[in-house]
Formats: sequence, C-alpha cells, structure tokens
Amino acid sequence: MISACHLYPDLLNLYGDRGNIIAFRQRCEWRNIPVKIKSISLGDKIEFKDYDFVFLGGGSDREQNLIAADLMKRRDRLKDAIEGGLVVLAICGGYQLLGKYYQTAEGKQIPCLDILDLYTTAGSKRLVGNLVVEVKLGGKPLKVVGFENHSGRTYTRSVKPLGKVLCGSGNNGSDGLEGARYKNVYCSYLHGPLLPKNSGLTDRLISLALKRRGMEYHLKQLDDSLEESARRVMLDRLGLRM
Amino acid sequence: MGFRLSAAILAGKAAARLSRACGYRGTSLPGLVARKICPAALIDLSAQVRRGIIVVSGTNGKTTTTNMIAGVLGDAGYKVIVNREGSNMISGVTAGFVANSAVSAHVDCDYAVLEVDEASMPAVLEETNPKVVLLTNFFRDQLDRYWELDKIIGVINDSLQKLKKSTTLVLNADDPLVAQLRGKTGLPAIFYGLSGYELARKTNTQTREAKFCPCCGFALVYEFFNYGQLGTYYCPNCVFQRPELQVEALGTVSKSNVNCCRIRYKKGEASLVIQALGLYNLYNALAAFTVGLHLGINVRTILNSLKKYQPVFGRMERFTYKRKPVYLNLVKNPTGFNEALAALCDAEGMKDVFIAVNDNYADSRDISWLWDVDFELLGREHQAFETFICSGRRAEEMALRLKYAGVPVEKITVNNNMRLAIEQVLSGPAQACYLFPTYTALWPAHKILEFLAVKGNADDQRMPSVS
Ligand SMILES: [Zn+2]
Repeated sequence: MISACHLYPDLLNLYGDRGNIIAFRQRCEWRNIPVKIKSISLGDKIEFKDYDFVFLGGGSDREQNLIAADLMKRRDRLKDAIEGGLVVLAICGGYQLLGKYYQTAEGKQIPCLDILDLYTTAGSKRLVGNLVVEVKLGGKPLKVVGFENHSGRTYTRSVKPLGKVLCGSGNNGSDGLEGARYKNVYCSYLHGPLLPKNSGLTDRLISLALKRRGMEYHLKQLDDSLEESARRVMLDRLGLRM
Repeated sequence: MGFRLSAAILAGKAAARLSRACGYRGTSLPGLVARKICPAALIDLSAQVRRGIIVVSGTNGKTTTTNMIAGVLGDAGYKVIVNREGSNMISGVTAGFVANSAVSAHVDCDYAVLEVDEASMPAVLEETNPKVVLLTNFFRDQLDRYWELDKIIGVINDSLQKLKKSTTLVLNADDPLVAQLRGKTGLPAIFYGLSGYELARKTNTQTREAKFCPCCGFALVYEFFNYGQLGTYYCPNCVFQRPELQVEALGTVSKSNVNCCRIRYKKGEASLVIQALGLYNLYNALAAFTVGLHLGINVRTILNSLKKYQPVFGRMERFTYKRKPVYLNLVKNPTGFNEALAALCDAEGMKDVFIAVNDNYADSRDISWLWDVDFELLGREHQAFETFICSGRRAEEMALRLKYAGVPVEKITVNNNMRLAIEQVLSGPAQACYLFPTYTALWPAHKILEFLAVKGNADDQRMPSVS
C-alpha cells in the first residue's frame, strides 16, 4: 500500500493542480497497486515519515500565506522525512515555499521552509505561456509539457534543476533552467497539470514511492496513447519533436 | 451634444456597416470609433435614457440575466436597449448605444440593460449613472486573462462606492463574495436567494472561492451549498452572514427542460417557471424577477415573460435533430462546467456528448482549468452515456481528462474536424445530444448545428424535423 498525502487541497487548488493527484492515483490503480490518499489541511495532524508521496500545489497570495504559517510549524519533521527519502512533488507556490526565502518587490525577505537550497524574488512581469522542459529520467531525456503562470523568479543554488527549458521561461526566464530536484523531491512551475500528460514522470514518482515502501517497483507498461497524443499536440505546435 | 457627437455616431455606424460587410459579428468597433471622435459619447448617449440604466455584472449568467430583464421590461411595454453579446467592455457598451441612436444623437428608450464585463465595471460605472447594479456571482474565471478574484472584487467595490446613493444594488445573497458588497459600499441593496434546494449537488466541487469571511478572514460555516460557494452561510466570528432575503425561491423542482419554484417576496408568493435547464438558470430568473419587482413591473407580467424566455445563443440552447433533442451550452470556467454537468446528469435517458476545447486567447490559453471540473461525475455515471466526442484545438487533452475521470476509453473519441465531430455526435445512438464548446468553439459549433439540425423544439413548434 502506497500512502500518499495531498497537502491543503482546499486551499491550494489553482490551475487544475489536483490533476496531479488524480493521475498518481489512477496510474497506481490501473496497475492494481493499492494507494491511499489523505487530504491534510490547516492544523490537521500528519507524520510525514509515515508517507511515501506528498503533493504540494500553489494558491493565491492569501491562501499561500495561511499555509506557509501552518507548514512552518511542521518544518523539521518534513525536512527529516525528505532527507529519509520521502517522495515530494511541489508545484509553483509549493515549490517556492520549499526554498530559503521569498523576496518581495519592496526587497523584504520572507523566510520559507529552507529545505531546498534555492530562493525566489518577485518579478514585475508575469511569466505566462506554454512551457516545454527536457528532463532526464534514468538517463533518458523526456520532453515534459505544461503551462506556466508565475511572477516569482526562482534561482537554484546547490540543488539541481528539474531540467532545461526548450520553450518558455522556466525558473526565472534568464538561466534556461526549470524546476528543482533534491533526493526524491521534484519541483516545477509547470501547471497543465504536470502529471497526467507527462506519464513518464508520474511513473517515476510511483516507482520511487514503491521503493520507499520497500515494495517491488518494476511498473507494468500501460497504454499511454492518449497521454502521448495530448503531449504531441503541444510539441507539434511549438515545432518540437517527441 | 452637438456636432462632435453626431460625427461620432455617423462614424460609428459606418464602422458597423463596414465590419458587417467584412463578415464580422456585431462588435465593439463602432464604439471604439465613436469614442475616438467623441470621448464623452457614452456619457452623453446614456444620459438620455428616460427611466434608468440597469448594469448586470458577475462571472456567470450575465448574458442570460441581461436578456431576461430586457424581455421583462419589453413585455411591460417599455422601449429597451441592450448591448450585444460579446460586447461587454466599455467600447461594446458604447456600440450598443451608437446602434440605437439617431444620427442627430437622439436616443429614444426607457431603459438600457447593459451586460458589463467585471474588469470594465469601473469605466462603465463612471460614464453611466445606473439606477440598478445587479451582481450575479463571482467565480474564478480565466486567471491568465483576468486578475485574481480578490483584486477584481476590490476594484468593483471601489467603483460602486463612487456611485450616487440613488443607485440600488441587487445582490445574490447566496454568494458571500457578492453579498459583502452591501456593507462595504453603503448603497441600498436588495437580496435574492434560493433556500431549501432539495437535490443534493452531485458534484463534489473543490472550486469554491469563499472559504473565508470577507470581513474578518475567519472560515465561513455553511448550512448548505447550492453550487460553488453559493448557499446559506454565516461567520462564527463576526456578524457577517447570508443577508435577509427580499426575494426567496423555495421548493425547487426541475423536470425535463423545465425549472420551477415557489417565490416568496414582500407582497406575497408566486410560482416561477422557466424553460431552461440548470440551477444556475433559476438563479438568473430570480435575479431578473427581483430587478423587475424593484422597477415596479407587475408580477404577472414578469412571470409570463420569464416563462416564455428562450435560452440565448449557446446557453442550453435547444435544437432538434431527427426528433432528437440537442442542447448547446457554452463552457468557460469550472463552476459553469460543473453546473452544466449536473444538469446533464439530471436529464433522463441515454446521452451522447460532444466537448470542444480551444485554447485561443478568448478561451484562456491555459486549459488547466479542465482538471478543476468534476468530470469524475461522468466517470461514475458513464452507463448513462454512449459516446464522448472530443474536438477543438485541445481535443486530445480533453479526451485525456475524461480517461482520468474514469470514463471507459472505448467511449471516448477524438475528432479534430468539428463538422465531422458534430455529425458524429448527432448521429450517435443515444436519445439526446449535449454539446459543450469553449468560447471560440461556440460560434463554429452553432453554425454547424444550424446547418445540420433545426433550431428549437420541433415538437413544440409542430415543425417537421429535417436532417
Ligand atoms: Zn467574519
């Protein structure tokens, strides 16, 4: 049984990000891998070390501030679990929150969870549009497709990026990098949502979660023709090859 | 007024002819041209409206409600101006007046009912002097085009505060985001709402906007939800709660293509019937009833007008294909789509479904919102559906969404050719067809339907059906 956790689904629910949980669950169930997904909101009890996979999305400013305060109280246990191999997917605001700080337009530094070595600064112009990133999964390149919509500029320091931007802005629109990767943590600005079309990445997260649970993690191949064609539509339009 | 305004109207009318000749639908171009020549065009033209201007805004239901109100006022014998669908920004509103003005710049009408885009509210409120401002609801629309919801509500609130106290607000009490505007603007307000809606919503929507009290930030407590964040609520921390209703709908019944309910208002009770599917259309009718009542229209006139109201362009618009009912309904945001799905699932019999998703600018380039729609409802109830045909620029993504919602893949077809896709759904095996296009897919879908099917209900009109 994989234990998964959706953090603050009632608050962080912008841009269809719950599709990531839907995709994770379905691709487990289609393979008869038992999976239990718990929703956690403000003040609910959670032991991160008991979980295999945690999803953290993004929200509007007001909601983001509420959950930042709540997560701060759980910070040490989340960090310990991550160091111990907890699989995490963090999107947009959730991604920024895992870093060291967020610097506002007025220059004020708001401390974040300080789990990943990266930081974010407010930008004046929103970076909006279709985004394609080349991600290496097990040595093989995969073109990951989605839509970005953020004003923060994120700069990775010692942590690795998720991939290289082929089309779009990515982390900050200047260094050609997108997302971040640390141990089993995957971060990205990609909405779309990220996991349904990019099933290679979803399966990677499922494998890692199974491994953490100590289960056999060779995944049965699924019929991904709809996933592939949804991805191909955007790659074709942007003049990129599968 | 004078020469400059006349010149502006002439130029505007010329622009309208030109754009029609070029095959464009009525647009905001005439308004744009007129405003260029005479920046005060809207101020001068709207000031001539004899009895008053009614501004209708909010996320969903603007077009339907505007048309219902215009119908009620027209049936009461008044001369009414409305701006055309899709022209709800300031230039479109101006264009509406230009089209209805004589070259002498004389406007001859009793009422103007104006559908106004949320983001255009400050500009329109500044240049017109509305007698009534109606706000339907606030849902999350397309965030890459609009600002975040909080910001838009703040801007509307600011512009309402600048209005004279002679303006009355007509507000949906069931939406805390709308209801809060009375306290904040200090304008007189009338509230309508829907109580005791018996059908529990099947959609387990996560797209509720107002989880927190707009006054103090505390989490709101709901006694029940009608849909989205609409329902009966109160704040456990301060005095904010669903306001007392001046017009209250009770005992809702919705049966094959007809919605009806009891209405309780100050002077009595009445029975409201509309020939349009969906709880959201009941809200629209309730809003129109409330405005009519406030303007002193006879209750029987209002009810008769609403009873014969025919859904407008692409709002559960009815067609008939070989004696089979066909419904066309625009989808543009999660709440609207969820409500359309709820109406779809409430309808009896087997159904074929067509969904066309485009990602042009007017649709929202980001189609992530499809994943906020509860298609899982269709997955759970897929036995009631024969086929799902996906079309549009992002047909493949739509098909993928249905797959992950639990719809069996053998029921899902992708056909990027909209004409063929619509032929396919019309000739499907089920007893009814439902077509759900996004904004820029609506016009082509409508054209194709007009060509292939018959407008309206063939049985009602005793018209032979043709294919
Ligand atoms: Zn309160």
